[in-house]
Amino acid sequence: MNPNFLEIKNATFVASEKNKINNVSLTIKEKGEIVCLLGPSGVGKTTILRTIAGLQELKSGQINLKGKTISSENFNLEPEKRNIAMCFQDNSLFPHFNVMENINIGAKRKNGSKFNYSDKDLIKILHLDGVQEKYPHQISSGEAQRVSLARSLLSRPDLLLLDEPFANIDTSLKEELQKKIKDILKEFNITTIIVTHDSYEAFFMGDKCGILLDQSLKQYDEPYNIHHEPNSLEVAKFLNRGVFVDVKVVETDCAVHSLSHPTLGEIRGKLVNNFPVGTTVKLLLQPEDLRHDDQSKLKLEVIDRKFRGTNFIYTLKTSSDEKIPVFVHSHHIHQHEKSEKFGIKTPIFIDHLVCF
Amino acid sequence: MIKRINFWVIFAFLVPLLVAIPIFTVFLSFFDTTGNYLDLLKDTFLLKYLSNSFLILLGVLSLTFIFGVTSAYFVSFYKFPGVNFFKWALILSFAVPAYIYAYSLVAFFENYGTAFSILTYLFGEGDYNKNIPKFDGLIGSMFSISFSLFGYVYVLTRASFVFQSHNLIEVGKNLGLSSYESFFKIILPSARPAIVVGLSLVAMETLSDFGTVDFFSISTLTTAIYNAWISFDDLTTANQLSFVLLFFILLLFILENLSRKGAKYHQNSKGNKPIPKIQLVGGKSILATCFCSILFFCSFVFPVSQMTYWTIKFPKYFQDINFWSLNMNTLLLVFLSSLFLIIFSFMTNYGNRVSKNKLISYLSTFSVSGYALPGIILAVAFITFISWFSDFLSSIFGFNSFKNVFIGSVVGLVIAYFVRFFSLSYNGIKSGYSKINNSIDENAYLLGYSKLKTFSTIHLPYLKTNILLVGVLIALEIIKELPITLILRPFNFETFATKAYSYAAQDLLEAAAFPSLCLIIWASIFILFISKYILSEK
Amino acid sequence: MEKTMNKLIRVIGLGIVGLFSTLLVANSVFANEVNVFSARHYDSDVQLYEKFTAKTGIKVNVVSGKDKALQKRIKEEGKDSKADIYITADAGRLGAFQAEGMFQKGASSAALKKVVPANFRSPYWVGIAKRARIIYYNPKTVNPSWNMSYEDLADPKYKGRVVIRKSSNIYNQSLVASLIKNNGEKKTAAWAKGMVNNFARKPTGNDRAQILAVAAGEADWAVANTYYLALMLSGKKGAEQQAAAKKVMPFFPNQDGRGTHMNISGGGILKHAPNKANAVKLLEFLLTPEAQQHIVNNTFEYPMIPGVEANKLIAQFGLDFKQDLKTKVSNYGKLQAKALKVMNEAGW
Repeated sequence: MNPNFLEIKNATFVASEKNKINNVSLTIKEKGEIVCLLGPSGVGKTTILRTIAGLQELKSGQINLKGKTISSENFNLEPEKRNIAMCFQDNSLFPHFNVMENINIGAKRKNGSKFNYSDKDLIKILHLDGVQEKYPHQISSGEAQRVSLARSLLSRPDLLLLDEPFANIDTSLKEELQKKIKDILKEFNITTIIVTHDSYEAFFMGDKCGILLDQSLKQYDEPYNIHHEPNSLEVAKFLNRGVFVDVKVVETDCAVHSLSHPTLGEIRGKLVNNFPVGTTVKLLLQPEDLRHDDQSKLKLEVIDRKFRGTNFIYTLKTSSDEKIPVFVHSHHIHQHEKSEKFGIKTPIFIDHLVCF
Repeated sequence: MIKRINFWVIFAFLVPLLVAIPIFTVFLSFFDTTGNYLDLLKDTFLLKYLSNSFLILLGVLSLTFIFGVTSAYFVSFYKFPGVNFFKWALILSFAVPAYIYAYSLVAFFENYGTAFSILTYLFGEGDYNKNIPKFDGLIGSMFSISFSLFGYVYVLTRASFVFQSHNLIEVGKNLGLSSYESFFKIILPSARPAIVVGLSLVAMETLSDFGTVDFFSISTLTTAIYNAWISFDDLTTANQLSFVLLFFILLLFILENLSRKGAKYHQNSKGNKPIPKIQLVGGKSILATCFCSILFFCSFVFPVSQMTYWTIKFPKYFQDINFWSLNMNTLLLVFLSSLFLIIFSFMTNYGNRVSKNKLISYLSTFSVSGYALPGIILAVAFITFISWFSDFLSSIFGFNSFKNVFIGSVVGLVIAYFVRFFSLSYNGIKSGYSKINNSIDENAYLLGYSKLKTFSTIHLPYLKTNILLVGVLIALEIIKELPITLILRPFNFETFATKAYSYAAQDLLEAAAFPSLCLIIWASIFILFISKYILSEK
Repeated sequence: MEKTMNKLIRVIGLGIVGLFSTLLVANSVFANEVNVFSARHYDSDVQLYEKFTAKTGIKVNVVSGKDKALQKRIKEEGKDSKADIYITADAGRLGAFQAEGMFQKGASSAALKKVVPANFRSPYWVGIAKRARIIYYNPKTVNPSWNMSYEDLADPKYKGRVVIRKSSNIYNQSLVASLIKNNGEKKTAAWAKGMVNNFARKPTGNDRAQILAVAAGEADWAVANTYYLALMLSGKKGAEQQAAAKKVMPFFPNQDGRGTHMNISGGGILKHAPNKANAVKLLEFLLTPEAQQHIVNNTFEYPMIPGVEANKLIAQFGLDFKQDLKTKVSNYGKLQAKALKVMNEAGW
């Protein structure tokens, strides 16, 4: 049986005295998987990458790459012997080499892996035309990040670590680059761990996502599951797209479960976690969960409206003073002003009933 | 930390330790016998020694401040006739060691000296001696040391002015300040860290000066330690005096280190445009030109002319000098010392970088204080330590004595210079290193570079300007160095400095002129070689 | 990049080879040599050593430097010291070094005993040349009586008219040491105070500067060693100084008492001298008429042995003055510290 590609077992990562991440276990089974680690800034995401890269020592636990232990409590394989590449968030190009020379330093690494793109291809793909001859201090930080990425890709690492790879890149370019990079990573089957605080980026890039909160890895799952079935209040709150409202569990026996809310009435769907009938729980209501319907009898007062391009986000007030967000397509002609009434389609059906 | 121990870390630990040994020795060797010097000293000299040191320090600091800051101000902000010349000409003062300046000063102003000859030549026979100003050794020392050291203040202050992010004068004008006000309210305070760094370097050099005060027979703290230790074998007194001196030095050291951080803070690394200089007209322009001319004349032209005059006037002494061997000896010392200093400073810096160990970092900080230890004290400490160590090993392990390998040999000289100038080279390399972000090393490792390869392909090429600069600074110091060379040199071994000293000691300053001139010329060549880096406006 | 590395390695290699080759040169053993540590810096001494080598085939190696620092080096090197002879220009220093047990007997060989006066040698060291520390005066303004003494310079009538260099100077220390030996500490202390009262200026400069001060009219009286005037008269310091020297007259004090204060340049054989036989030969050579002639003509000191004429620049002032042979020069070393204390307390 093949060993897992990367195993992190009960690892404690130490960023500083106060800041550490305890007892992380995480497995990448197959070569070529992309994992995104998502968490607020300052949680120690970068520390994890640096430790995997061998730049920092592991406090406890173990990291195995391709079946070989590379970090443990009393062993630390030198970073240059790991064949792990990492792109730092800040500019880390060699200042006395120009862009082209910097990129090509990656190509000099001697290992067996195949990589069909040349330095020139990457220059094109990463929109770096025109800066080849420039020196690091003459280019923007976004460009520097891309150069660093190109350099790492060309070094054909076993494992690629990206620290906020798109942080300094314009939004317009970001999505295109995310797509292109993902394609390249997939094409050459490069196992990658990306660290980011942007959940959209994490959900798009990652085959799996890990949520880092409060000094631990809270959840490690596929992006769809993370979004729809966060396993804890903290994760749900961190993803921060909805609100929690108090509901009573009414019915759990059938295929369709049923909850009740004093203002919204019955809410049906599939409970992610089981609760006994009659208990009061907190239900996550995300903006896409409720549908607008002017004809509906269920009407709530609008207390705020934000224009978000594709959508409006309306904030509605319930009788128990809860503020519920609802998406409405922004082409919708009939706009509701503040303090007007806003109809919600009934009966309410939500696929994933996330309750705690 | 065990995981991190490697070749580099060991270097980072050992080199500063070795450098620190003679410094420790100065103090540790004092817990022995005692003599009667202290009684003598208490009654009569101590206060005088202290006040002499203090007065000289005060005088030199004031003069170097005025010379350095004023010239830097003129040169950085204004255009006036000769500004481009003065910009680099003023750093030539580095080429004239204070003791050679002192020779010139005495020779010129003494009764029937050069000034007398000039007056006689111009106005015929006459009794001019009374009209030629005389000054005592204290003032003489102040001026000699100031003219040879103000360059530190000039270079650092100027760099600080040039690297200001805005045109301070324009900002000042915007705020409605006169140029006089903006100088004192904006420009001067903004350059304060750089000025303090310059002044503390000057102060350290002044306190450790031996050649000049010895020539003028001024007793200072340094000569007191020398006398207590060497003439009176009174180690207790030497110890106590050394602590006083060390206290002074420590103070300066801390001051310098703190200001260095401030100085760094003030320099923004990106996007500096050279400040557009303001054209001076009329009286102001004449004033600026005059000030710089006089400074350049006094600090460089005057001693060089005096030495040249003598060399020409007394050609006989010319023949007595083995010119070739003096050159070879001086260059040999320069080459070996800079080579080893640079290599080991690199390794120590890199080890420090790799290990991030606090102990090692403290040790390096401590070891660089060798620079503040007067050369003459250091040389004697070196001899004492080697002798003790050799005897110790012989008595325990029956080793053959190795004293002769280190005392009175080129090896010993190079090691002593190493201890003395390690600070210069360590800090020089360090300042270059501080510009290399740590993540750059990490990137290199992650791209599969070993530590050695990172060092040779990333650090070395990036720091090559630094290396050149440090190498030349070491060369300058070694060419001028006197007390260590004098005590530790091998048989029949002369450098320009020892030759000049030796003639001065037999009251033949006329003969000292030629080796002095050679020394100045060599030093000037080195200075011109690096002037474009020192004066870089980018 | 490999190239940079190779270059680096090559430079390091070159440095190490260079270091070792200089090591070898520095330590190369000349079978027949003698090593001199000298606090006398005269070039003419080196020429003399060359003559010695030409004559005997013995190579002379020299390190010159500051007196006490050289002594310190010799002491610390101990039995590994390569130094054979230590030469310095003050009897006090020789005596002090002897007292520390750093010399061995044998400097005054049988041959030397015959020619060097007993006062200027000991079993441990031997004088090589003599100098007198005398008074200089301005003949235009003052005229000393024939029996004027050092002691007289403290007379209040010379207030503001006397110049002499600082108390830190070893020649002054030896002079005052001899005064203490002859007059006692108390009297000498009073004398020192009187001297300080008579100073025309704060002590500054070397002996020659004192003579120049008299020439320039800053003072009437100066105390300085004999050879400084001769050096100026020789023209080695230029025409102006030659002319200035002619304005000053030397005066040999204490002629009706113990005589003029004399000091020596001398050398001794060190305790751990590896080449003792050669060292004896060198000292003997330095006291041959040939060598003495060379010394007196170059340094303007007085010859140590009879039968050699002092240089005419110094001889013109008379050679028949009474020298203080009574005060043993070996006393200087013992009393120098006291002398320094006396002078400092007087504010010298």
